[in-house]
Amino acid sequence: MNWTSVRVPLVIAGALSIVATACAPSTAPSGASPAATAAATAAATVAATAAPARGGTVVFAVWQEPTTLAPIYANQTVAGVVGDAVTEGLAMTDPEGTYVPVLAKSVPTVANGGVTLSSDGKKMTVKWELQPGLKWSDGKPVTSQDIVFTWQTYMKDPKAVSRAGFSEIEKIDTPDDVTALVAYKSLYGPYPTNFYALLPKHLLEKEADISKSDYNRKPLGTGPFKITEFKAGDSIVAERNENYRKPGKPYLDKIIFRSVPSSTVAIAQLKAGEVQGMWNLLESETPDIEKEPTLKLSFSPSNSVERIEINLAENADPADPSKPHPILGDVRVRRALIHATPKQQLVDKLLFGKAKVGSSVNPQGWAADKTVTQEPYDPKKADELLDQAGWTKGPDGIRAKGGVKMSLTINTTTGNKTREQVEQVLVDEWKQRGIELKIVNMPSSVFLSGSWDDKDPRQRGTYDLALYTTNAAIDPGVHMSQRYHSRQIPTAQNKSGQNRVRISDGELDKMIDEAGNSIDQAKRKELYGKIFRKINEIAPAIWLYERGRIDAFRTNVLGWVPHAWGNITWNTEDWSLKK
Amino acid sequence: MGRYVARRLIQAVPLLLLISVASFALLKAAPGGPLAAYESNPLVTAEDMARLRSAFGLDQPLPVQYVTWLSRFVLGDWGYSYAYHQQVLGLIGERLPNTAYLMGTVYVFTLLVAIPIGIVVAIRQYSWFDHLTTGATFAFLSTPTFWLGLLLIIVFGLQLGWLPLGGIDTPGTSFDVVDRLRHLVLPVLTLSLVGLGRYTRYLRASMLETIHNDYIRTAWAKGLNERGVVLRHAFKNAASPLVTIAALDLPELFVGALVTEQIFGWPGMGRLFWDAATRFDYPILMGILAVSSGLIVFANLVADVMYGYLDPRIRYT
Repeated sequence: MNWTSVRVPLVIAGALSIVATACAPSTAPSGASPAATAAATAAATVAATAAPARGGTVVFAVWQEPTTLAPIYANQTVAGVVGDAVTEGLAMTDPEGTYVPVLAKSVPTVANGGVTLSSDGKKMTVKWELQPGLKWSDGKPVTSQDIVFTWQTYMKDPKAVSRAGFSEIEKIDTPDDVTALVAYKSLYGPYPTNFYALLPKHLLEKEADISKSDYNRKPLGTGPFKITEFKAGDSIVAERNENYRKPGKPYLDKIIFRSVPSSTVAIAQLKAGEVQGMWNLLESETPDIEKEPTLKLSFSPSNSVERIEINLAENADPADPSKPHPILGDVRVRRALIHATPKQQLVDKLLFGKAKVGSSVNPQGWAADKTVTQEPYDPKKADELLDQAGWTKGPDGIRAKGGVKMSLTINTTTGNKTREQVEQVLVDEWKQRGIELKIVNMPSSVFLSGSWDDKDPRQRGTYDLALYTTNAAIDPGVHMSQRYHSRQIPTAQNKSGQNRVRISDGELDKMIDEAGNSIDQAKRKELYGKIFRKINEIAPAIWLYERGRIDAFRTNVLGWVPHAWGNITWNTEDWSLKK
Repeated sequence: MGRYVARRLIQAVPLLLLISVASFALLKAAPGGPLAAYESNPLVTAEDMARLRSAFGLDQPLPVQYVTWLSRFVLGDWGYSYAYHQQVLGLIGERLPNTAYLMGTVYVFTLLVAIPIGIVVAIRQYSWFDHLTTGATFAFLSTPTFWLGLLLIIVFGLQLGWLPLGGIDTPGTSFDVVDRLRHLVLPVLTLSLVGLGRYTRYLRASMLETIHNDYIRTAWAKGLNERGVVLRHAFKNAASPLVTIAALDLPELFVGALVTEQIFGWPGMGRLFWDAATRFDYPILMGILAVSSGLIVFANLVADVMYGYLDPRIRYT
């Protein structure tokens, strides 16, 4: 390695990463090109076909510290990276986004008789059957009682990370040890992944507060590995689960998750061979990895869409949703902004091509409609639309209408270099269209706090344009109703509403309700396609690019497969070391 | 003396209360909150956010939150970390030994090296050794630790491959003294080189002042050997400023090194504080701030008491 070429970037990057950690959003930053994904998947598949060697240890670097591994509390992506090797649920999504059984025999559907509707069609019962002979890693049997216990515990513990789905359950009957009849009060579409992790009743029923038990850091699961050591802030050791249900697996003896302070350090350790894999690279870090013949990148698309959300209501504290924004309230202006945004250039120049131009709020998974598009980059069209809308250029080159100057403010998180660069590109681009763009950035703990009382500008409505990313789950039901239904516009009465673009459209509301109250996947897919299209018609956001997940391994680690919906550690039972 | 110490301790109580009110107010005044982390989780609904806010007591008025914290703190319940879902006292308990181990080594190493150097450069003023150390100490004093740390990592870790890049030991291995020491070298070097500059400069200045006093000339005149003059007569009198600085640095054994622990991935108090600050994990921050302010007050007292030992002319009333 050349001394001078390494020193400067590493030192600067190190310094930056120290600053950036303070403001980094907790979402996994990443990006991917579909071609690269296909190549990586193919490579991994080829590797997996050779007979894998048994034994060995992989040290995997994570550059955030998992704080708790208990699925009931864990809220960090990185906790899931470790947890996926240990805890399992009834069903999961495979890399393509279809539901597949994990501990269950099959995924219940209406078609296979596993889901039955009440006579009025407003309630449903889901019949889960466990695979026979399942054991927790301590050798105790997994029973339908664990399913009941999981539901009860999520509903009882006030600190549970989410009660989504669980709060819709009326009761669970257990006719025998392997069957659970889960009765929902409503039609709950995302039921297949509701039980994403089972809690062991025999271990936890005596605990008054799970947070005080060892389970917090060493959760007992059914996965290929079990946690044997948790050194806070340092490392987590996962050893082979001898009671794992798949014979002969896992191949590895051990995976050690090592928590390092930054991705820069993780890359240095990966290059030095101190670790064999690492989680979560930034797009800008990929060229450096690609140069190394002993390293390999894992790309996967994701549902995380970097966007600029547009405030449809006036910029005021608090915003009155019935008063449209003086500039952005006009759909022609919003479309003009989209036409004036060079998405492909952003992807090529700022993200090293490791992302895909955005087109829809939900570009991946079964609900995605690949035919949904958004206005292409077309500066001339943008000018036309702005002229039509009555915004004419003044002597200073900035458009104005009725005494109002076309001056907008964009907010994003401080310390995120890519986002800051995007803002700068837009300031230049939009200036040529006669739009003045001002940059005001804030720490993510403010900008993304989601809290009315902590004055998140998106919550109060004190913003024009908000640049950030968020992701819809494999089932877009919750995301759509929370973020695009007029019921969820944040106000002093409904402080925690998440419809921050303040979109209010009767037809959209109706479709969101209808899709949410149905469990017929084909019908829902059609409805969501219409919803995504309708959202693009109203244009409350510029979908900049779809970020991917990027992880990296040394070439002697085999068997890993990128996963669009899960973590790179979703199939650790197949990982092995080259002989 | 006993009454003096007792009075100082009693005076410290209102001061510490004031510090804790100020820290609490400042933490809460900083815009943002701990629930931002839940924002990007697609499973977390608006109802979940409201429930968590109330479960963590964040929906209470600020004075109520402070009084609740304080009344529990004095009874030994330091609160519940939102991120770790653990008791704060336990979290500090598992990090403290790591920090004490690192900072203790730095402290002892720095003093052991700084004292001889400080003495020698004073009695051999303007020698080549004095010029060399003066130059070096100024260079290290003005070097930011994050830069020095990264530089050492690049040279000894990446380029030469002699030493590990970070961490407290090699994960997954059983306790091994050599491995532990290898991991200790770079962080200790980073922190000591900076601390060394400070200590030697202070000691050199006060030694120079002392050795030109009449009583030192008298000691020479009556034929005492160099060792006796320098150590017993000069050093003991010149040590006061060093003692102040060294005593005031004692709280660092608890607080740790924010930046250095971050760079070397050291699982200590500095990194705990840093992570808690980025997550707005108020109970951890308040716990560490309360104890460190207590220690600073205590360290001041220690420094004052040490003066009395070094200089019998000082009387406590």
